[in-house]
This record gives sequence, C-alpha cells and structure tokens, in this order.
Amino acid sequence: MSYIEFKNVVKTYEMGEININALNKANFSIEKGELVVIVGPSGAGKTTALNILGGMDDVTSGEVIVDEKRVDKLKNKELIKYRREDIGFVFQFYNLVQNLTAKENVELATEICNDSLNPEKVLAKVGLKARMDNFPAQLSGGEQQRVAIARAIAKNPKLLLCDEPTGALDYKTGKQILKLLQDTAKKENMTVLIITHNGAIAPMADKVIHFKNGKSEKVEINDHPVSIEEIEW
Amino acid sequence: MKKALVKDTIKEIKNTYKRFLSILLMAFLGVGFFAGIRACSPDMIHTIDQYFKENHVFDIEVISTLGLTNSDVEAIKKVENVDKVYGTYSKDGIVTLNENELVTKVLCVDDINKPILKKGRLPKNQNECVVEAILFEYSNMNIGDRIKIDIEKVNNDNGKEVPYLKQNELEIVGVVDSPLYISRERGASKLGSGKVNLFLYVTKDNINLTDIYTEIYVTMKNSKEYITSTKQYEDNVDSIKNDIEKIKEDRQKARYEELVESATITLEDAKIKLNNEKTEATEKIAQAEQEMENGKKEIETSENIININKRKADNEFASADAKIAKAKQQIVSGENELKTQETMTNQKIFEAEKTRDIYKSNLNNINNALILINSNYNDVIEVLKNPNLSLEQKEKLEKTKTELEKKKQETESTKNQLEDAIYKIEDGIKIARQELENARIVIASSKTELEQQEKSLQATKNTTYAKIEEARQELNKAKEELTSGKTELEEQKLEVNEKIIEAEGKLIEAEEKIADIEEPSWYILDRNTNPGYVSFIQDTKSIENIGAVFPVVFFVIATLISLTSMTSMVEEERIQIGTLKALGYNKRQIASKYLIYASLACIIGGILGMTLGFLLLPKIIWMMYKMMYTMPNIAISFNFEYGSIGLIVASVCIIGATLYAAMKELIHTPAVLMRPKAPKNGKRVFLERITFIWKHLKFSSKVTIRNIFRYKKRFLMTIIGIFGCTSLIIVGFGIKDSISSILPNQYEKVFNYDMQINLKNSLNNERKDDLVNKLMANDKIKETIEIKSTSATAINGDKTQDIQIIVPKNNEDLGKMIHIADVKSHEVLELKDDEIFITDKVAQLLNVKNGDTIKIENSDKEEKELVIANVIENYVGHYVYMSKSLYEATQEPYDTNLLYVKNNEISEEQEENLSKEMIGMSEVSSITLTSTVMNMMDGTLNSLNYVVVILIVSAGILAFVVLYNLSNVNISERIRELATIKVLGFYDNEVYKYISRETVLLTAIGIVLGIFGGYLLNSFIISTCEINSLRFAKMIEPLSYVYSILITIGFTLIVNIVTYFSLKKINMIESLKSVE
Repeated sequence: MSYIEFKNVVKTYEMGEININALNKANFSIEKGELVVIVGPSGAGKTTALNILGGMDDVTSGEVIVDEKRVDKLKNKELIKYRREDIGFVFQFYNLVQNLTAKENVELATEICNDSLNPEKVLAKVGLKARMDNFPAQLSGGEQQRVAIARAIAKNPKLLLCDEPTGALDYKTGKQILKLLQDTAKKENMTVLIITHNGAIAPMADKVIHFKNGKSEKVEINDHPVSIEEIEW
Repeated sequence: MKKALVKDTIKEIKNTYKRFLSILLMAFLGVGFFAGIRACSPDMIHTIDQYFKENHVFDIEVISTLGLTNSDVEAIKKVENVDKVYGTYSKDGIVTLNENELVTKVLCVDDINKPILKKGRLPKNQNECVVEAILFEYSNMNIGDRIKIDIEKVNNDNGKEVPYLKQNELEIVGVVDSPLYISRERGASKLGSGKVNLFLYVTKDNINLTDIYTEIYVTMKNSKEYITSTKQYEDNVDSIKNDIEKIKEDRQKARYEELVESATITLEDAKIKLNNEKTEATEKIAQAEQEMENGKKEIETSENIININKRKADNEFASADAKIAKAKQQIVSGENELKTQETMTNQKIFEAEKTRDIYKSNLNNINNALILINSNYNDVIEVLKNPNLSLEQKEKLEKTKTELEKKKQETESTKNQLEDAIYKIEDGIKIARQELENARIVIASSKTELEQQEKSLQATKNTTYAKIEEARQELNKAKEELTSGKTELEEQKLEVNEKIIEAEGKLIEAEEKIADIEEPSWYILDRNTNPGYVSFIQDTKSIENIGAVFPVVFFVIATLISLTSMTSMVEEERIQIGTLKALGYNKRQIASKYLIYASLACIIGGILGMTLGFLLLPKIIWMMYKMMYTMPNIAISFNFEYGSIGLIVASVCIIGATLYAAMKELIHTPAVLMRPKAPKNGKRVFLERITFIWKHLKFSSKVTIRNIFRYKKRFLMTIIGIFGCTSLIIVGFGIKDSISSILPNQYEKVFNYDMQINLKNSLNNERKDDLVNKLMANDKIKETIEIKSTSATAINGDKTQDIQIIVPKNNEDLGKMIHIADVKSHEVLELKDDEIFITDKVAQLLNVKNGDTIKIENSDKEEKELVIANVIENYVGHYVYMSKSLYEATQEPYDTNLLYVKNNEISEEQEENLSKEMIGMSEVSSITLTSTVMNMMDGTLNSLNYVVVILIVSAGILAFVVLYNLSNVNISERIRELATIKVLGFYDNEVYKYISRETVLLTAIGIVLGIFGGYLLNSFIISTCEINSLRFAKMIEPLSYVYSILITIGFTLIVNIVTYFSLKKINMIESLKSVE
C-alpha cells in the first residue's frame, strides 16, 4: 500500500438544487518522499483533492489514506490534530499573518507542534536569515512565499501541500520557489504535492497527476525528474 | 435608483441581517433612550399641567400681612390679563388625635385649587369637612367621625377677637387630595413642631370673618394655552405679577387707612366709654359716701333713742316695783287683821255654839215632852172614840184633851222659839265663818294679783331690756357695717382709680398701636412658592439633565459602531463597488445602497426605540416619583419633537458614518477598488523596543499585543464599549449606593438622636424641665436636650429655599445629638453665638459658602441678615442651626418646642415600649422615632432601584451589541488570518483564545477605564439628578465595583461564547480561496 491512497473519492457540493461533483471517483496514490505535481484545468478538482488530503474538507464517499490513517474517517478534532501534526500548507496568496514578522509567522506554526524545527534555522534554509524580523509587507512576493514555505516545513509535516504556490509570482521568483520546494523535498525526504495549472513544470516531479472533470485522468511517473532550473516555460 | 440596486440592497440586508440588526439595535437604543428620557420631563410637566388645569390651580397668589378685602379683589380683577380672582381663607389649627397634636391647615372649598374627591363627598354644611388620607395614618377614624380643631382666635378690623371658625367640631364627610399639596411637604406653620402635618377643607360659610381674606388667588386669561413652568407661562405670570405689583402700593395704603380708621373709631368709642364710666364711677362713689354719712347719723340717732328708752324704762320699772312693794305690805297687814278677826270670830262662834248646844238639849227635852203630850193626846182621842165612855169621863176627857191641846200648843211654840234661836245662832256662825272666808279670799286674791303683777312687770322688764339690748346690738352691727363699708368704699375708690388708669393706659396703648400700624405688605407669589410643585419641577429638570447625558453615551457609541460596521461592509464590497463604478454607476447611486441599508436600520430601530422609549421610560421613571407625589398617573404622550430629534441625531450619526465609509471607498478609481485592499501592514509596537519586557513575553502575548495596536480603531471602540458598559453599570450601582447611603448618613452619622419628642403647645419652662428630668431618670435614655425648631425661608438674592431652623437651648448640647462637621474639611464644629450653620444642599441651592451672608425670613415676614459660619454636612432636608441669642435677636422669643432624645443601647421592642410610654405623658404631643423615619424613607428610596435596573439592562444591551458587532467585524476582517491559523492546525479553543486574548485584554482595559469613567459619570449624574431635599453622597461601594465588573465580564463572556461558535464555523477553504 502506498503512503497516500486516494480511492474512489467523491466530493459533492450542493449548490441550491444542483449538485456539483467536484471530485467524481478520483483515484491516485503517492509514495513517501515523492514530489508530486497535480495539473489540470480550472474546476478539475485539484484543489478539492488537495483540501481533502490536507484535512480541510471532508469527502462525500471514498477512502483517503495517509500513512495508514483513514483521513476520511477522522472527526473534527482529529482532523485538526492531523493538520497540526502531519500537514504543511502553502497557498497561492501566502496567507501570512500581516501583523507578525517572518520569524513570528513561522513561530505561529512551531508553537503548536511538538517536533517542530527551529524557526530561525528553517528561515535560514529558505534564504531569509537576514529578513526574518521583517513584516510581510516589507517582503517581496517571493520572500513572502518563502516565509509561507518555511512556516509549512517548520512544523516538520509528513505532507507538504502547495496550492498554486507560484500563481501570484513572476516567472523568476516562481522558479525560485519551486526550486525551494524541490530541494526541500529532496533534502528532507518530504512528500510534497504541488498544484499547478502550469503543465510546464511537470518534469520536476516524481509523479504527475492529471486532473480533469473531477477525476485523476492520468498519472505519470517520472523516473528522472529534472531540476527546476533546467525547465523553461 | 436602479432596480438591480434595490434588489441588491434587499439581498444585502438578508445576507447580513446580523449587521443590520446591530445597527438597528444601536438606533433603537440611542433613539429609545434619548426620546424616552427626554419625554419624561415633558410628560411629567404635562401631567402636572393637566392636573392643575383640571383642578383650577391658581397662577398667582397674593397674600398680605394684614389680610385682604373685597376692594383688593376688585382692584386685582381690573389688572390686565387677569381672568378670575378668588378671595379665600386658610389658617392653621391643631387637631389632637391619639395624643398627637397635628398641625392642620384649614382650607376652604372653592372654585380655585379644587380638592380632588377620593371618597365620600364634599362638605355642604358648616359642620362638615373633608380631610386628606394622611389623617388616617394617625388614627383609625372613618368618614362620618367627628374631629375637633383648635384654632387661635382672630382679630377683626376693630381689633376684637373672634373665633376663626363658627363650628370647630366637624364631621368628616370625605377624603380628598389637594392640588396645592402634591408632595408630602405641607409647608411651615407657627404652631407645634413648626410644620403643617395635614390639611382639611371646610365650607366657606364656616368662616367667621368673611370680609377679611387670608389670600387672593388669581388665574390668568388664556391659561389653558400655556403649560405650567414653561418660559411662556412664567413670562405671562411675571407680567401679570408686575401689573399687580403696580397697584400694590395703593392697595396697601388703602388697607392701612381702612384699618387705621376703624381702629381710630374704636379708640374714640372706647375713650367716650371710658369717660362715661369715669363719671359714673365718681358719682357712684359720692353716692356711696353720702349713704355712709346718712348711715352714721342714723346710728347716732338710734343710739340716743335707745338711751332715752332705757332710762324711761328704768324709771317706770322702779315706780312699778315700789307699788308692788306697797301692795305687798298692805297684804301683810290685811293678813294680820284677818288673823285677829279670825280669832275673834272663832271665839264668838264657840260661844254661839255653846248656846246653840244648850238650846238643842232644851229642844230635845221639849221634843220629848211633846212626844209625851202627843201620845197622851193620842190616847185621849183613842179613848174618846170609845162610845162607852161616860159623859163625864168624856167631859173629863174632853177637858184633858183640851188641856192637852193647849199644852201641846204651848210646847210647840217653845219648840219653835228654840228652833228659831238655834237657827239664828247657826246662821250667825255661818255668816261669821263666811265673812272670815271672804276676808281670807280677798287677801289671797290680792296676793295672787300682786304676784301676777310682779311677774308681768318682770316679763315686761325683760323684754324691754332685751329690746334695748337688741337695738344696741343692731346699732353696733350698723356701726361695724359702716366701718367696713367705709374701708370697702376706700378700696372701691382705689380700684376704680386703678381701672381708670388701666383703661387710660390701654387707650394710650391703642393709640400707640394705631400709630404703630404699619402699612401692610403684599406678597405676590406664584406657583414657584408651592413646595411640592417646586420640587416636582426641579425633579423634572434633574431628569432632563439625565436625559441630556445618557443618550449622548448611546449616540456616541451608536455612531462608532455604525461606522465600524458600515466601513467593514463597504470594504468587503470594494470589488463590487469598483465593478459598479466601472459599469458607469455614479457615486450617488452606489452609495445609495449603503445609505438605504443604514437608513432602514436607523429608521426601523429608531421608530421602534422611540415607541418603546415613550411608552416605557416615563412610566418607569414615574414609578419612582409616584411614591413622593400625590398625583394622577403620568400621561404618556408621543412626543414628536423629541422623537424626531432623536431619530435625526441617530440618522445623522449612523447615516453620516455610512456615508463617510462609502465615500472613503468611492473616491478611488474602479481599478484601485477592484484590486484587493492591501491588508493592514504589520508594525512594531513601542513595547518591542523595551526588549527586556518583550523578550520575556510569551509568543501568544506578543501576537496579542501586536494585534491590539494593529486594529486601533476597532480596539478603541471595544474599549469604549466596555468602558461605557462598565461606567453605566457603575453609575447604576452608584446611584443605588448613593441613595441607600443617604439614610445611614443622615440618621446614623449626622443625626445621633433616636427620638424626637414634640412638646405640646404652651408648656411652661417648669413642666419642660420636669419632663427632661423625668426622661433623664429613665435608664433607657442616655441624653435629652431641648430644641426650638421652626420652619423659615432662607433667601439669597432671587433664590429662596424653605428651611428648618434648629436652635438648641445650650450651644454646647447640640453636638451631642447632631454631628456638625464642615462639609469640606470635615472638622467638627461648635455653634457660635453670632453666626449660623447652614446645611450643604441648601447652601448649594442658594449658592452661598462659608462666610457669606443670607437672609432668613422670620414669621413676621421680616428678612434678617445672617452670617454663615460654616456650610455643614447633611443629607436629608435643609437645616439652619443658630444659637439661642441669635435666634432671639433676629427671629422671635425663644421657646423650646421639641426634645431630642438619645437612648442607651436598647432593642427595637424596648424602644417601641419606651415611645408608647412617653406618648402617654401629658407634656408630649407626638414622638418621631428615627428608626421609623428611616424605614419610611427606605421604602421611598427603594423605588430608585428601577433606575439601577434600567441602567444595568441598557448597559448590558449596549455592551452586548458593541462587543458582538465588533467581534463580528473583527472576525470578518481577519477571516483569512483565522482561516490560516485553523489550517495550521489550531484547535478550536486555540483559535478562540487567539482572538479572545485580545478581547480579554481590551475588556480589562475597558473595565479599568470604566471604573474611572463610572466614578466620574456617577458624580455628574448624582449631582444633576439629585432630589431637591436630598444630598446624595457621591460614593460607590467597593462591592458595587465588583458587581459592575462581574456583570461586564458576564456580558463579555456571552459575546465570547457566540464568538467561539462563529470562529468554529469559519470555512477555511472559502476564506483562503483567494482574495476576493
């Protein structure tokens, strides 16, 4: 059994009288330490899948297993615990707490975790050693996203989930962020999921999952992922 | 406005109904409070106005020091704008019920100041009256019972005393209220305790002196058009008062002349009468003297007569005595003669008897011979009868017979002769004896006669001398009488002289009095001298003041809340605004949505608020005042003026805030608007610069502090909200504390006595001393002092205030019963001989301080200036303390009328028994127990608890709305942040804590500030809503702070619980999807 299993997951949103299936029997699996890129057009169900995997949403039916844990069966409190201990999230719009410095934003996460990493070290790792006392507003978009990544990985999660992490960044910065993620995955042997609508970055992944109409249409295994620096788009 | 926008607005309201409701609620509270409290004062004034109009209460009252007459009435009638003028009568008397001497004001039923019938009927006859219900508190009397009223006699214009009432025993026929007495204050009196206890109404025809009015009541024309106490009303009254003021001089003079004239006439009459009496008296004395002289002469004459008579009697009696003596002698000699005669006669008789005896024996012999002859004769006859007898014989016999016959004749003749002789002798003896007897009888009868004569002479002598003696005694009596008559006459003479001197003195006095008659002074008064009315109007002013403060708090907070609410709403819809703007809608159209939104909330809330405010608040406020005033229930009116002012103010605040919020966004270009608003930048706070503190702070604390400084506006508002809430609750409790501390302050701290004993009128000092000694001897009583207490009016400039003057018998005794301390320095003071103490509140009302001078009007309506030594601490009522000497110098002669009594430690029951014991004493008129007063007032003051409840409830609602609203805004503004931390894996309670730590800190700050704010606001409210006769202590119990804090925390907690669930409901995915 894989580290992560997504089996026949259905997620139905009730919009008034209409039911929309965001996920319609999606299936995929991910191994520990893999860097996975999920691609697909808007509305394909990528984010829904990521949310479910991150314990932020429940499923209508199907099974979600992470490290032998039935995430779909978790109660609210267990879900929070799951998020708290097992998951690191990186969003398109960073979602940093504006009122906290870079370091404090990281501390916000480490405060609540038992085996967290040292915030300063993590920040140094993401290349923000010099800026850790800066507020988000004083940082560039890329730097803010680094802080967000640092916050996510400082928790020492089992799973790092990134929803369009470069969506709001320019090309160069985006590349740097992806590099960071790739490096982190490799160095820390962390399982990383990146959602993107930019199929071009797929070669950096160990596994590429294609989403369409709420289904994982195709799963590609990339035996030789390339470094992001070598990818141009 | 475009249809789409209307739809959008309605949808918006539906979607954000919580926000809509909170704005609505703010408008509700703001307008409700403003309109409701504002309406109280006009409603109360309206109520008293209606009450006064219904019962024809006067507008102006005229009283005079020397009474008023019909010509005064006529004169006032002619004054412009005067509608009706009523002359009427009132006077204080004493009604004694259950040993209580109650000072009673006797009024007349009239068409002015009509009494309001509560039970029974109005009096129709002279001997009927109606009373007020208070009477039944003193006794268990009923309608139909009779009461007796003692009223001092009054002088008529001629200076003669007449009873005030024709009937002073009256039947109670009904129970009434009087519009003149709406409070328990019945005004001052010269009698008894110096205060009127109750009033009663009699009919006008029970008044004796109907041509001297005690007061004239005036109503003004068109008075229905004015509302009492308003400026319009006061101005009109003042102008009429001024006009009456103009005729005052003439009328005073006229009355003066009238009185002088009638007094002069009386004086002249009296003079003539005196002269007549004088002459009469002199004449009478002369006559008496003459009579006395005559009497003397008479006595002399009678004395002479008596003397003469006596001498005459003496003489007469002497000769009578001599005669009797002579007669006696004659009798003696007669007796002697008789004796001789007797002897002689007896001798003769003896001899005659001897002869007679001889004759008798001869006679016997003869008789015997005769018998022999007779028998011989008879024998012869017998023998002659014998026929056989010879003639010789016969012859012989015949011869013998003849012889015999002859012999017989001879013997018989001798016998006759003898018998004659005997007879003659016996007859002689008889005669002699008879003669002797006769002589004896003569002598005896002369003797008796003489004796009788002697006796009668003696009797005559006795009576005569008795008569003479009697006459002499009578004479002596007459003499004595004459002497006593003389002294009496002398005395009478003196008396008459004295009387004349006295009468002349009186005449001089009367003359002086006439000279002394001062021109009467008129006092032209209005309703503002009616104690109940004045305090009522003052109370409405207090409420007006509260009405000016409280709603401001609500309005300020409502504005702030709406501002935050609407700002956050507008900000949330930035993109929509941008889109609309880009589509070509103009600012007005776009803003109209928010304005309509706010206006709807504002108008609905406002109208609901004013409706409830108008209906409830005056009623609740009235509940407090109902206890203090005898008035009909408050007339609630829908006061459009205040309603619309409230609504306009609320609208200006809320819609203005909305407009401001909308415009702030609308000035941006669509492009700017459609971009997400840059989140507020984080900043370092000053605290971070103090590294040694910052370093030691926990991470979470750091975050909290940072956040607090980040959302300054909102947090400020939270603080203000909590501050307001805490302050209001503290004020609520503060009012309660201030009020409930009044009684202990006054009756335990200031007044140390346990009983006030009102003495009966006209006790002399000896009886008072006796009573005091008697009381002091009682082991339950610790101390007793004598006091003179009387009502008066204190004046400073145009300010006047009714006060009670307290004068102790000895200056140094006062301190034993009353804690006299300077209100500022709290220094304990002793009464000075030449300066007065005045209590705190009255000093404030008159605007005077230590060392100032005020005037006090004495019972003769003279105003005397007095210097205030100190303004002293006091909480209930208005008092002026002065020394006996000062009182006598400025007021009237000193005569104590009550006792302050301090007990030893005794139980309530013992105290009750003690007072029962004392009320039975003949010197005691009534007893007031301090504990009873406290209990009574306690009930009244408890009604103020409603205020506390109103304040706490509204403060609670305020706090809730503010906190809830702010918390909503906080959550919605920071939803991404919250969603983020949720994603990070914060447990629900950690998320809650993340937010609530801020709330708790702010609440704490708000509470701390609220404590100060509450303290200050309380001071302000207390001083503005203070009841005229009370001094509220500006104090708040520590426990009240605790309660206020707990209640605030309670409200905060409720909001926090709601917040907890709102936080739990935050949808991470939706919130984090994108920046809208």
